[in-house]
Amino acid sequence: MAQDIITIFHGPQHPGITGNMSVELDLLGETIKRAETHVGYLHRGFEKMIERRTVLQAFTIVCRICVPEPDPNEENFARGVEELMGLEVPEKAKWLRTMVLEMARLQAQMLWFAGQGGSLGHYISPQWAVADRDLILDLFEELTGGRVYHMYITPGGVRRDLPEGFLGRLGHFLDYLESRLPEYDNMLLRNPVFLERARGVGIIDPATAREYGVVGPNLRACGFMNDIRKDEPYEMYGEVDFIVPTETSGDVYGRAMVRRAEIEQSISILRQIIRRMPAEKEIMAVLPKNHRKWEVPKGDTLVKTESARGEYSYYMVGDGTDKLRRVQVKGPSAVHAITLLEEMLVDSQLSDVAMIMNSLGTNPPEIER
Amino acid sequence: MKIDIKGIWGALSSLKYLFQPPGTLRYPDVKKEAADGYRGFHDNDLSKCIGCGMCEDICMNLAIDMVKPKSEAYLNAKNGSGLIPRLDYGRCCWCSLCTDVCPVNSLKLTKNYVYVSEDMNRFIYTPGEEKLGKREKETVK
Repeated sequence: MAQDIITIFHGPQHPGITGNMSVELDLLGETIKRAETHVGYLHRGFEKMIERRTVLQAFTIVCRICVPEPDPNEENFARGVEELMGLEVPEKAKWLRTMVLEMARLQAQMLWFAGQGGSLGHYISPQWAVADRDLILDLFEELTGGRVYHMYITPGGVRRDLPEGFLGRLGHFLDYLESRLPEYDNMLLRNPVFLERARGVGIIDPATAREYGVVGPNLRACGFMNDIRKDEPYEMYGEVDFIVPTETSGDVYGRAMVRRAEIEQSISILRQIIRRMPAEKEIMAVLPKNHRKWEVPKGDTLVKTESARGEYSYYMVGDGTDKLRRVQVKGPSAVHAITLLEEMLVDSQLSDVAMIMNSLGTNPPEIER
Repeated sequence: MKIDIKGIWGALSSLKYLFQPPGTLRYPDVKKEAADGYRGFHDNDLSKCIGCGMCEDICMNLAIDMVKPKSEAYLNAKNGSGLIPRLDYGRCCWCSLCTDVCPVNSLKLTKNYVYVSEDMNRFIYTPGEEKLGKREKETVK
């Protein structure tokens, strides 16, 4: 008997992503024959909001572009303004920024882990990973005063110095997290159910990855060793030793293993930062005392950061006033979750959609900035 | 199909956590205290506030209005405008820019972050004159 194609909406609320986005699927039985992504549920017009505010006001908005990992936005924005204004950031502020970026990467990877297990119906993973992520958020709360939106990295430096004993507490947390990783492996990444579900599913071949402009762990899982932290070092990434993990399978399992290895690298980077954190007190560049006197000279700049999901970039144009003439934000999800996903989902199974979306690290707010 | 006994055994090893104390707090019996630098509700030391309006000027969400206090008796003698900031927590995003630009450090953020009221107007308040940071039961009349 011939089967009819039925069309369903997968989303906008579903376990594959941290945010709202839907995928329209044409199904023949359980097999997907066509996929079309629909975004727009979270559009808040960030770029225009930034352009209407002074640079000092705007830095508190940029973190909201990406909920799971706001700090690369803050760093990108701050570094762009500094390049345009010619500000010299103190060395300690650069170390603190690098530390915050790696802490943010760790907590974003924990959130990915939670989603990866949750999208398979393996609910111990979200419970463990979210509980451990909360310990990082406790450290963020102590350092920045906020748990999710930190608003810590500001043009010119960072807003606060380290609290008393903070590096020791960070070191203890890293020891704890490292001791938990084998348990995470046993529970999910070596779990036969996960291996059966993840291997050979959601494959990105290297040619497609290059053609579509895939970045971050998704690209590294195809065998490419591309990482902005190594290719164009920023902040203090040129001073720390780390490797860029790669895999060659290009499937959900490969991407999971890349992210798993990146957790270890982040722990290693943070330990180096703890050892090398300067004792000096200077954390801000010399800035105009009156915030009304902040003016961004004419010019443009493109700054890039490696977030947990891949390359983040800000293109910024100054026109000599206290506001930016144009800001364009490009997050990695625009490529991964729209053009690539529509192609990847064809001929895969309905039950794998959430798992594939999560493995790509999809984050809708950065598509709709 | 080959059964991966080692993998299944590894996954089952997480059962040991069934016999360990929970990682969560027993809320509301045990409450989590915020860190020292937490960005919670505002407080304003009116004996220092000079009514300059820098906080109102920098607030990108227009959450701050400069208003006349209920009584001028407790104002700083140097308060030239005779006004003090009033917060609208329907707009505030707790970015702390207002406290950063305060030239006399009178406006600060506290560790308090829990407040419940059935009256929406209670979320527009004047720090220094009123205090937030407690659970308040009110009835809308």
